[in-house]
Order: sequence, then structure tokens, then C-alpha cells
Amino acid sequence: MAEGRLTTFLGRTAGNKDTAERFGIADFLAYGYLLFGVLIILVPVLWTLFSSVKPERAVDSFDTRILPIAQVETEVDGIGPKSEWIYTDDNGNQKRVFKAGPTRRETDVAPIDDPDAVIKVPRTQLTPSEEIRVATENYLDPLLKRNGQDTFTFGIYLFNSVFVTVAATLITLLINAMAAFALSKYRFRGRLTFTILIIATLLIPSSIILVSLFFVVWSFGIFGSLWGVIIPAAATPTGVFLLRQYMLTIPDELLEAARMDAASEWRIFWRIVMPLSLPALSVLAILSVIWRWNDFLWPLIVLISDPAKHTIQLGLTQYAGEFDSDFHYILAMTVVSLIPITLVFVWLQRFITTGIATTGLK
Amino acid sequence: MIHTLELRDIKKSFGDVDVIHGVDLAIEDGEFVVFVGPSGCGKSTLLRLIAGLEDPTSGDIMLKGERVNNTPASERGLSMVFQSYALYPHMTVRQNLSFGLENFRMSRAEIKRRVDGAADLLQIDQLMGRRPGQLSGGQRQRVAIGRAIVREPVVFLFDEPLSNLDAELRLQMRVEISNLHAELGNTMIYVTHDQIEAMTMADRIVVLKGGQIVQVGKPLDLYNNPKNKFVAGFIGAPQMNFLEGQMSGRRLSLGAGLLRDIPMAKDYDGKVTLGIRPEAIGVSLDGEGDMQIKVQNFEQLGSVTYIYGAFDNGERLTVQLAEQIPLERNQVIGVTLPTDKFHIFDGESEDALGLSA
Amino acid sequence: MSLAGSMMFLLGVLWIGGGSIWLLAKRRYRFYQIPSFAMDLVGFPVEFAQSVWGRNGVPYALLLPNMVIFGLFTFAPMILNFYVSFTGGSSISLLDRPWVGWSQYAEIFDCESIFEPKSCTNAGFNFWTGMFNTLWFVVIQVPVLCIVALITALVVNKNIKGRGFWRAMFFYPVMLSPVVIANVWNWVLHRKGILNEAIGGSSDALTAMAGMTGFDIIATVLIGVLLMVISERALRAPDMPSLGWTVLFAGFLALITIWANPLSIIEMSGSPLLGLGLAGVLIWIVSNNYRFARFAVIAAGFVAAAMLVSIQFDAVFDFGRHRPVNWLVQPNTGWPFFWLVFVFTWSHMGFYMLILLAGLQAIPADLYEAAKMDATKPGRAFWRITLPLVMPTLTVVLVLSLIRSFQIFDEVYLLTGGGPGRETFMVVQNIYEVAFTSNNPDYGEGAAGSVLMAIVIAVFTFFQLWITRRQSEF
Ligand SMILES: Nc1ncnc2c1ncn2[C@@H]1O[C@H](COP(=O)(O)OP(=O)(O)O)[C@@H](O)[C@H]1O
Ligand SMILES: [Mg+2]
Repeated sequence: MAEGRLTTFLGRTAGNKDTAERFGIADFLAYGYLLFGVLIILVPVLWTLFSSVKPERAVDSFDTRILPIAQVETEVDGIGPKSEWIYTDDNGNQKRVFKAGPTRRETDVAPIDDPDAVIKVPRTQLTPSEEIRVATENYLDPLLKRNGQDTFTFGIYLFNSVFVTVAATLITLLINAMAAFALSKYRFRGRLTFTILIIATLLIPSSIILVSLFFVVWSFGIFGSLWGVIIPAAATPTGVFLLRQYMLTIPDELLEAARMDAASEWRIFWRIVMPLSLPALSVLAILSVIWRWNDFLWPLIVLISDPAKHTIQLGLTQYAGEFDSDFHYILAMTVVSLIPITLVFVWLQRFITTGIATTGLK
Repeated sequence: MIHTLELRDIKKSFGDVDVIHGVDLAIEDGEFVVFVGPSGCGKSTLLRLIAGLEDPTSGDIMLKGERVNNTPASERGLSMVFQSYALYPHMTVRQNLSFGLENFRMSRAEIKRRVDGAADLLQIDQLMGRRPGQLSGGQRQRVAIGRAIVREPVVFLFDEPLSNLDAELRLQMRVEISNLHAELGNTMIYVTHDQIEAMTMADRIVVLKGGQIVQVGKPLDLYNNPKNKFVAGFIGAPQMNFLEGQMSGRRLSLGAGLLRDIPMAKDYDGKVTLGIRPEAIGVSLDGEGDMQIKVQNFEQLGSVTYIYGAFDNGERLTVQLAEQIPLERNQVIGVTLPTDKFHIFDGESEDALGLSA
Repeated sequence: MSLAGSMMFLLGVLWIGGGSIWLLAKRRYRFYQIPSFAMDLVGFPVEFAQSVWGRNGVPYALLLPNMVIFGLFTFAPMILNFYVSFTGGSSISLLDRPWVGWSQYAEIFDCESIFEPKSCTNAGFNFWTGMFNTLWFVVIQVPVLCIVALITALVVNKNIKGRGFWRAMFFYPVMLSPVVIANVWNWVLHRKGILNEAIGGSSDALTAMAGMTGFDIIATVLIGVLLMVISERALRAPDMPSLGWTVLFAGFLALITIWANPLSIIEMSGSPLLGLGLAGVLIWIVSNNYRFARFAVIAAGFVAAAMLVSIQFDAVFDFGRHRPVNWLVQPNTGWPFFWLVFVFTWSHMGFYMLILLAGLQAIPADLYEAAKMDATKPGRAFWRITLPLVMPTLTVVLVLSLIRSFQIFDEVYLLTGGGPGRETFMVVQNIYEVAFTSNNPDYGEGAAGSVLMAIVIAVFTFFQLWITRRQSEF
């Protein structure tokens, strides 16, 4: 009986008793596809995450075990810290030893508790003595500038990234909303021209104006400063378009009521239109945060020469270029720069996805 | 003489489309004026011109003797209740009421006094913390009126405020708005396409058609002395009956078969339309009377009986009786049309032709 | 002080100083209205416009800041681009740049044939290599991206459990920066990375299994039984075959065709393509409810059975030893390009999926209910209802992804740096390197490249819009 109920339970998808359908092949394929997709998305990220807490030696030797496993380091009396090995003799007895000489076919080893009793043993009978250890130094060295890792000035990068992101997003929201308000709620000469201009901008890829934008930004004197990254991208056609579409749905009568209430046009914008456009504004805010936080090419051009102006993305690129082989640090810093946006995402994911899906359009 | 509101030859066009074709009107202090007319005749446009939400193409709008064409809506001292209420959905009821007052940079104490006063008057005190989305239709209506009241305006403007309510609530709010007018004594301009609302609420009715004023007058004046066929048909329910006929001198001959001498003010020759209200017609079950109709349908409401019949030539006639009578379909009954209840309209211009009283 | 600095200073003084004076002169603010004053100050130009020109002046004041930035940082550069492309030298000061006419373009076009970048001068070689790589990339990337996004959107739009979770998961990579993405995938695709390790492990396991006696017979029987079960389920319904089971069946058909390699008899390669083609045709026939769909499935079953018998499974599963591939570095393998497409899809698909999802959700549910009342099969409903109605959204996605793919830079630059050789060298990277990384920056050439690229993008976009317009006309 219980079994029968279980299979019915497993065999049902959402819906009431009458409309529920059996778990059919279509559902099977759908869930299979989803699972497969999510694996492809998550595995690389998780793998990076797990690898980033592995000790240097495990990373360098491309240890593919998931857990951070490190060889035990033991303090040997009178000699200092040594890597610990397990020696299995022919009878199957095991002994903790350390290497007393270079590794050859027959290697000199000595027991940990008796450093002077050096014996020769075959290399094949030695296995490393391992423990699970989270390598916090991967994170702490660059962040605390220990062990010569003083080029990754995370604090500065974070500040620059946050500054660029927040300033650009606020400016974008304000001026795009103003433009969208004008285009959606006023009848005036030139409205169509302006709308077409903005839609045309929607189709102009930013990378075809790289060179001349460089000249413009340079002649304004904001080249090499964070404002050189913030200002040029502040007026996004996408934002204007998205907000305009949303504001069109706000009834005109509301604005007229406010006019009868003696609100100035600016006050109508600020007190009525902005609060009512909140869903679209927050979508634009999220998009703007994603764009600005992840922006790479333009900051690379404008800010690269001054390390004190680097954003997290630039800092990380420079760092990875500089320490080409120090994978353990690179991975750890990758994870560090991935954390803020991931937290934001986990916190707001429902809101972000439904928001973008309902407000549409990039 | 200084009127509270005066419109002088107001015209309005949207691009190429002329919507208001020259309106002259004067409204006195404390009047309840209703603009009535079919949908699309320009009532709302006229109201919005008064409010200052649209600018007239030409003509003058005078408020208390001052030309206010160039005064922005907010400074005209009017307040408006919108058809959709236009309550700010993101503000509580209290914030909705005080928003306008804040714009005038009024002191907080004064704002509170006015808002509480209005809430008290409209019995919405318990709703002050809610948002419009959490209110019923009738409650929203009250809040919208409250928002107009707190401004203590010279003139209240209402644009079809009851059209979003169900029949019962509409009746109730009609009475409440009338009471409010009696209580506050303000000038009110009320737009509706419903002639019953107009008849019941108005001190004066302005009938509009195609962007022009057709007739202005007290409700019963319009009812009894409509200026033309349009007003006659628009005011009163059920509608006035219209029968086609021919006039030669003072003799009327109806297509449906009636000859009668009419006491016209002037002789007239040509096509005319006879108008007669349903309740003016008498009925005899045995077929006696001026003419006969065949009963096509009837409604017995107890206190009234409506009879829908047709003459032999196909023209229809509605009769309203204040009594209960036994009826059957296809029964032939006699009807009496008293001459003193006749309205005669010119067949071409549809203007009323005067009768000597 | 810089130009921008002094402008900002002047503007600030005018705005805050002038605005405060003006506002305070015009209006009385009570003490508790300080926030309201601050807000009015922010919008002072708008307030000012309203008081001077009335309501008609307001929209222009509202548009001003956006339009100034558009004008200075989008439209002006567009025009400036042409000018810069006619100048030479490496001076940053526009006035110091000598006019060189068409010579920047001439240099790029200095080829025997532009279709053979090797025959060009250096500048032309770099540009045209980049351009053709980019075009090649776009031609592959856009359909892949759109199809994957559409399929995902369709699946997520189904009545499945945990919709929000799946949707969020697929969107997550969009949030990641190109640098992070490049580091993550570099780590995974390293020669000794997890991917090679996993492939090596499974190929070893399969090889070991294939070496066991009797494996051939067991595999044949197992797959034969599976095939029978699946085709029976596909054909169980009395009239039309079930689409879901047909998809599964088609998958197996493709696999078997690939294994059996029938084209080797006539000494041709390409059996994998034949297998995928057969599967596709089968799915298409069934989803369209053609009358002979049932017959097609049965016929395919016989073909599959015949091929199954011919397969030597111990040969199929004997991979030998897997030699690690240096995915991003090994030249002439096509892998770097493949992974570029893969990573690009991985990181951008979620966004287009959401847009398509919005389009799908805008299709009224009662259309599907009506279709169900008319006994429309899901496959037919897809072709006749979903696809036509989601077409406008799909067009948007096509155009956006086209423009986005054309501009690919971050991912390539960080993953492969354009290598191996010039295999993944894209046109934006060419512009970037010419103008910004060399010691002797050639802005003119970069600008000329940008102009040419703009032309190509414009042609592509209009071409695409024209095609989709043609399709959605009726
Ligand atoms: N903003 C506008 N632009 C163009 N035509 C308008 C506009 N507002 C109203 N109209 C037209 O003016 C006429 C009168 O409209 P309105 O005053 O709203 O009629 P109603 O009497 O039903 O309230 C209608 O034909 C309408 O189409
Ligand atoms: Mg109206």
C-alpha cells in the first residue's frame, strides 16, 4: 500500500488531483536537461571554490580530489619541520617517517620519534601521510600582504569597484528616468526624434567608438580617473527604453491629479513617477550593477596605467598575469572577487530573474 | 456682473481635430452644474480646460472675473475628482490627502486639521493608514472626494466620478455628493453621460453635443421645454416618442395616421417630428382613442407599466402608465395623445417649434 | 584644472548656489521641509525651466543630461571616429594629428585578396584575420546561443518544480565577470585540469569494461532491449507517436548511427552528421504530426536494429589511453575556438533565456487551452503557436546577441589571448592592440578598423532584421 502511494506520489507533478499528470517522458527529459545544465554551470565554479582552499602543493600538482588534502608537516626534534611519510614494511607494519635524504629508488628515511635511526627503504613502500587542511593562507597572504604578496591591494580595488558601480548606477538611474519620463509623459516637438535617436543608440555597439571615445575622454581630462569610466556609460539607451516602456503604463490621470494638487513637474517626477516605476528602476539598477561591476575593456583602456585606480577586475587580471604559476593565490582571489556578486545574487535572485523577465529587454 | 466661472467662446482642437467649437457659459457661486452629453461629445475636454490641464485653442476662461488662461492648474484654486480616482497607489490615504497641501507648504497643524476634517466628513477615518489598493470602490471614491475637499477649492470638478461603481453604490454616492454640496455650499461642476445623475443632482444642466452647448437650464425646464429634438430625446427615461409627420399651416398630419390642429405660435409648412413623452399618453384596452397600436412587448413593474407598441406604418410608441393593467402580446389597444403635451420639432433643423401656451 | 574639472566646478556653483538662491527666493520652506528642499535643488534646472517656459519647457530640461552625455560620449565619438581614421601619427592631441586621407584604409586593404589575410601587409593581416575570425565566431555563436536559450526557456517555462531555482541557476553566470569566468575555465581546461582528468578516468573505465569477455554480446542485447522499450513507448498511443519518447529514441538512433559508422562502407566519414541529421528529421516529422510519422518511427526502428547488429561494441568502447588535451593552447585542433563558443554560451545564455521566457509567458495560456480542446499535439502547438508568437522576442534576442557576439573581446583576451597563433584573434582585440597597447599607438588605424567593423555590423544587423521581418510578416 505504502509502496503504491509512493509511486503515485513520485509519479505526479504539480497540480490538483484531477489535473495532475503522470510523471511522463517529457518531464523526464526536461528535468534531465535542467540537471545537466545546472551541473555544467555549477561544477566549474564549485571546483574553483574547492581548489582555492587547497594547499599550494596540491594545487600545483593538480590534485583532483575534492577535499583539500595536505601532507602532514611535523616538527622533528633537533631538525625542524619535515613532511611526514608512512613507511609500510614487508610485513605490513606501518611507521611514520621523514625523508632524511634525496628521493631515490632506495631512499634514506628516519622515524619521526627517532630522528637518528636512518634506514634505507624502497621508494614504492613510502606513501605520504595526509590530513585535511583548509589552506587559509591562499586568501590571507594576498589580503594581508604576507609572504611577499603585496601587489593585490584588495581594499583599493574593492573601493574603486564599489565607487564606480554605485556612482554610475545612481547617475544612470536618475538621468535615464528623467529622459524616460519626458519621452513617455509629455507631448512636445521633437519627441519622436529623441525617441528614434535613443533607439538608434541601442544598436550602436560600444566597441566601435573605443578609439574616438578615448580622444573625447582624454580631452575632457577624465582619462585615467574613475569618472572616465563612470560618465561615458551613464546614459544607457537600454535604461531609457526600459523605463519609458514602464512609465507608459502609469495612468496620465495620476499626473493630472498631482498637477491639480499643485505639484511642480519635478515634484511629480520625484514623488509620483519614481516611486511608481520602482520595479523597472530596480531592474535597471541590477543591470547597471552587473554591467559596471563586470566592465572590463573600457576600464582596461582608461585605468590600466595607475594601479591605485584599478577595479577588482583589472586588479585580478594584473595579478593573474604577474603570478602566472601561483594558481593557489589566483584561485583564491578569483573566489574573493566572485563572492560579492554571488551574495547579491543569492540574496536577490528571485527578484532579479522575475524582474528582468517581466520588464523584458536588454 | 462677476461670475464664479465664465467661459467665453472656448475652442479646442487636438491637432486637426476640433473638439470644442465655441462654448459660452457662466456659472454662479454655489451652483451645482452638470455637463451631460453622449460619450465623446467633449465633456471631459471642457472640464479639463477649466481645470487647466489643457490649454484652450482660443477663448477666455474667467475665474472670479480674472482671466486664468495662463494660470497653471495648481494655481486656479480648483480641485478635481477623476473618473479612475487617480489615487497615488504608493501612498496611504492620509498621504494621498495631504500631498497637495504639502505642495502649498502649509503648516503641519493646518494639514492635519484639514485632513482630519475631511476624513470625518466622509467617514474614512478608519482607512487613513491603508493604501488605495486595499480599499473598495466606494471607499476609493470617498478618498478621491476627500482629496478634493481638503484643498478647500473655489470650484469642485468631477469627471464621471460614479461610472466605476456598481448600481447600488452609485445611487448611494449620488445622494452623498448632493448632501456634500448642500453642506459645503461650494460651486461644483459635474460631468456625466448619465441623464438620471444630471436630473437628480443638478441645479443647472448643460447639455453638450459634438463640442457645443445645446441647452442650459434647470432640470425640469429641460424636461418640459427641450430646445430641440436631441435634448428632448436625451433627457428623460424612457425616451420621448418621436413620430414623423407633415405640417401645413397649423394642421399636423402624422404618418401613423392622425390629423390634428395645433396651436402653433406661427404657421409652418413642411416636415416635422412630433415628440410626446411616454407618460403623457393615455391608454384604453378596448381600442378606443386617437389611434391604435399593437402591443409588441410590455414590462409590468407594479407601480409602473411600460408598453412597447407599434403603429401600422411601423413607427414605434412607448407608453408609461402609473397603474397595473392586464396585457397580452399582439393585443391592439387604443392610445390618446393630448395636444397640450405635444412637442413639435422642425424636420430639418430639429429645433423645437413654439406652441402658443 | 582639466576641461571637465572646470566645467563641473562652474556647473556646481551655478547649480547649488544659484539654485538655492532662486528656490529660497521663490518659495518658503519650513524647517521640516529640508529634504524637500534638497530634492527641489537636485531638480532645480527642471523647476527653473518650468517657471520660465511653463510646462512645455519641462521635457527638454528632463532630456538634457541624458542627451548631453549621449551627444558627447556616443554621437560625437561616432563622427570623430571618421576624422581620426583619416589622420596618422600617435599624438593624442587631435590638432597635432596630420591628415593622411585614405591611407589608413589603404593599408588595411593592401592585400592581394582580403579573403586571404596572409597576402596582406601587417595591418591588413591583423585586421582581416580578426574580422574573419569574428565573422566565423558570430555565424556559429548566434544560432547556438539562440537555440540553447530558446530550449532552456521552453523547459523552464514548463510546469516544473522549483522553477525559480532553475531559472536563477541558469542566470547566475551572467552575473560573473569575464575575468572570473576566464580564471574558472582556465583552471578547468588546464592540461592537467579536472576535465582531462575526468575524461581520462572514464575512458580508462570504458576501455577496461570493453576488454571483458562477452561485453559485446551483453551490450548489444542491453541496447537492443532499451531500443525496443523506447520505440514501443513512442508508438503506444494509437494515432500519433509520443514526442517525448521519440526524442529519446532519436537520441539512441543518432548514437547507434555514429557507432555503426555506415558511411565507412562507401569509405566516407561523416557518420556523426548523418546520425544527428536522421535524428533531427525524425523529431521534426513527429513534432509536425505528419501522417507518416508513425511509419517513420517504425522504419527508423528497423534501421536501428540492423545497424545495432553490425556494431562491435568492444571496439566502440575501447578508447585506449586518453592523452590529455591542452584545450586552449593546442593549435590546429579547433578546440580553442570550440571552448570560446562554449564559454560564451555558458556565460551569456541566461540573459537571453530570461528575455525569451518573458516572451513565452506573454503568450496567453488560453491559446494553449484552445489548442488542447482542438486536440493539438504539443509538437504542433510549438510550431504553430509558440514559435510564431515568440518570434518578435526571438528577433530581439537575435539582434542583441549578434551585436554582442560581434564585440567579443573580454572572454577571448583573457582565455586565449587570441591564440594559439591567431586562431581566436578577434577584431576588437585588433583595434585594442593597435590603438592602446603598442608603444607607438596607431589611433588612426584603430579608428579605421572601427569604421569598417561598424559597416560590417550594420550590414549584418539589417540583413538579419530584413530576414526576420520577411518571416513574421504573415
Ligand atoms: N488628447 C487628445 N488627443 C486627441 N483627441 C482627443 C484627446 N482627448 C480627447 N480627444 C477627442 O476629443 C473628443 C472628446 O473627448 P472627451 O472630452 O474625452 O469626451 P467625453 O465627452 O466622452 O468625456 C473625443 O472624440 C476624443 O477622441
Ligand atoms: Mg470623459
